[in-house]
Amino acid sequence: MKNFFISLYICTLICLLFFSYAYIDSNLIYFRLLYSGFSYNYRATTTILFTSLVIILFVCYLFFIYLFQNKLLSVRDVKKLIITTITILFLSYPAMLSYDIFNYIATAKVVFFYKENPYIIMPIEFINDPLLLFTHAANKTALYGPVWITLTSFPFLLSFDNFLLTLFLFKLIPLVFYLYSLIILYKLSKNWYSILLFSLNPLVVIESLISSHNDIVMMGLALTAILLIKNNRNVLAMVFLSMSIGIKFSTIFLLPAFIYVIYRRLQKKGVNWNKMHSFSFLGMSSIFVLSPIREEMYSWYAIWFFIFVALMPDKKRIVKGSILFLFGLSLRYIPFMYVGTYDDTVIRARTAFMYIPLVIYISLIFIKKAIGKYRRYL
Amino acid sequence: MKYFLFFFIFLFLSHNNSSVSAQSSYVLPYPAVMPGSMWYKVDLIQEILEKYWYFGNFSQFSYYINLSDKYLIEAKVLFEYKQYLLGINALKKSDSYYPEAFEHLQKAKDEGKNITKKRSMLEYAALKHIEVLKKMKNETPSEVIWTPEKELPTYILLHDALDSSMRIREKI
Repeated sequence: MKNFFISLYICTLICLLFFSYAYIDSNLIYFRLLYSGFSYNYRATTTILFTSLVIILFVCYLFFIYLFQNKLLSVRDVKKLIITTITILFLSYPAMLSYDIFNYIATAKVVFFYKENPYIIMPIEFINDPLLLFTHAANKTALYGPVWITLTSFPFLLSFDNFLLTLFLFKLIPLVFYLYSLIILYKLSKNWYSILLFSLNPLVVIESLISSHNDIVMMGLALTAILLIKNNRNVLAMVFLSMSIGIKFSTIFLLPAFIYVIYRRLQKKGVNWNKMHSFSFLGMSSIFVLSPIREEMYSWYAIWFFIFVALMPDKKRIVKGSILFLFGLSLRYIPFMYVGTYDDTVIRARTAFMYIPLVIYISLIFIKKAIGKYRRYL
Repeated sequence: MKYFLFFFIFLFLSHNNSSVSAQSSYVLPYPAVMPGSMWYKVDLIQEILEKYWYFGNFSQFSYYINLSDKYLIEAKVLFEYKQYLLGINALKKSDSYYPEAFEHLQKAKDEGKNITKKRSMLEYAALKHIEVLKKMKNETPSEVIWTPEKELPTYILLHDALDSSMRIREKI
C-alpha cells in the first residue's frame, strides 16, 4: 500500500510537470516550440486534469501523514519524497497558476539592467522590452521589499541575459529556501512529522516549487529569526526578522510574538515556546485574513501561517482545519481555469471553492458536539 | 472552537471583491506646503533626499518634472495672494527644473531607452505650463515694487519673468 501511494505521488508529480507546460503563454517567444495552446483551447479538460491532480496529491499527502503516524513511513522515505518532489518540479513551467515569476524578473531588469528605481519606474515604461509581451503586472511599480530585489540580483546577473537561464535561476531561489526552511523547521521542532506536514502539503509544493512564489523565502528568514531568538542571539534574530520583512513586509505581524519573548526575558521569566509559535500563527493568520484589503487572498499566502501550524502538530483541530482550508485554496483556481475570465460568478465560485472544505469540517465538529451532548442528555 | 468560528467569520467579512480603476491625462498637482509654513523646510529636506531615491534617468526625469510642476503651482498660488517675491523665486525654481527633466530624458535616450512616451509627456507638461503661465500673466501687473519690512524695496518685472518661463518651455 505504501509503495502504491509513493508511486502514485511520483506519477502525479510527473503529470503535473508536463501539465504545467500546457499553460505556456502564446506571447512567450522563448518557449514558442513548446507552445500548444492546450489550456486555452480545452478549458474543460485542463480543469478536470488539474482538479484530479490536486485531489490525488492531497490524498497521497493525507495517506503519508497516516503512514508516518503509524510508523509505516520512515524518515528516510520522507527525505526521499522531498528530494523527488524538488527534482521533478524544478523542471516545471512556473507560470501555470500565476505570472508572478515574470514580475520578479521584470522588477530585477528595471534595477539591474535599466538601472532605474523599481519603486518609481514601472516595467511598462520600457517600450519594446520583450518581457512586456507576457508580464501581467508590468503596469505596477515593485510590489516587494528591497531584500527580495537584492536577492534577485544573483539569478538576474548570473543568467547573462539568457531568458531560459533567468527563468530557471529565479526558480532556484524559492527551491533553495524551501529546503532551507525545512532545515530550520526541523531545528525548531526536532520532529519529522512537522517536516512532513509542511513540506509535502500540495499547496506548499505547488506554490513554492512550481509557481516559485517568494513567500517561502520570507518565511524561511522568519523561522531563522525565531531559531536565533530561541538561542539567545537577539540582535541577529532581529536582523533576520528585518530581512524577512524586507522580502514582502507581511512578517511585520510576527513582531508581537518577538516582543512577547523579549518581555518575558526582561522579566527574567521563562519563555513558553509553544505560546510563541501560537502567537506567530495568530499574527500571520491575521495578515492573511487582512490581505483582501490590499488586493485579494491569494492561495500562496497560506504558507505564512501554515508553516507555524507545522510547529504545533499537537493542536489537531488547527492542523486538520488548516489542511482542509489549504485544500480549498488549491481548488480556488478551478473557476477561472474553466471560464477564463474574472466575472462576478467566477469570483463567487472561487470563494465558494475556498471555503467549502472548511465549512464542512466546522459543521462536522458542531454535529459531533451536538450528538455528544444529546447522548449525554439521554 | 470559538476561535475557529471567529477566524471563519472574519475570513468572510474580509472578502472584498470590488475593483477600482482610474484614468487621468496630464494634470498639475494640488498646491503643496507653502513658504511660511513650519513644514516648508521639512519639505525642502525631503526634496533633497528624494533626489537620491529617484536614481536612474527615467526616475530623475520624473523627479524634475514633478518639481517643475510643484513650483509652478506654488508660484501661481503665491501670485494669487500677491506674494510676488516668493512667487518669483518659486517660478525660477520651476524654470530651472524643467530643462533638467529634459536633460535626463536625453541621457536616457543615450542609454538606449525608448523615450517616445516620456518625450510627449514633457511636451504635454510644457503646454499645460504655458497655459498656466498665460493665465498668471493676465491676472498680474506687468511690474511691481516689492517692499518687505525692514528691507530695501525690490523692483520685480513680473511679465518679463513669465515670458521668460514660457520661452524656456517653448524652446524644449
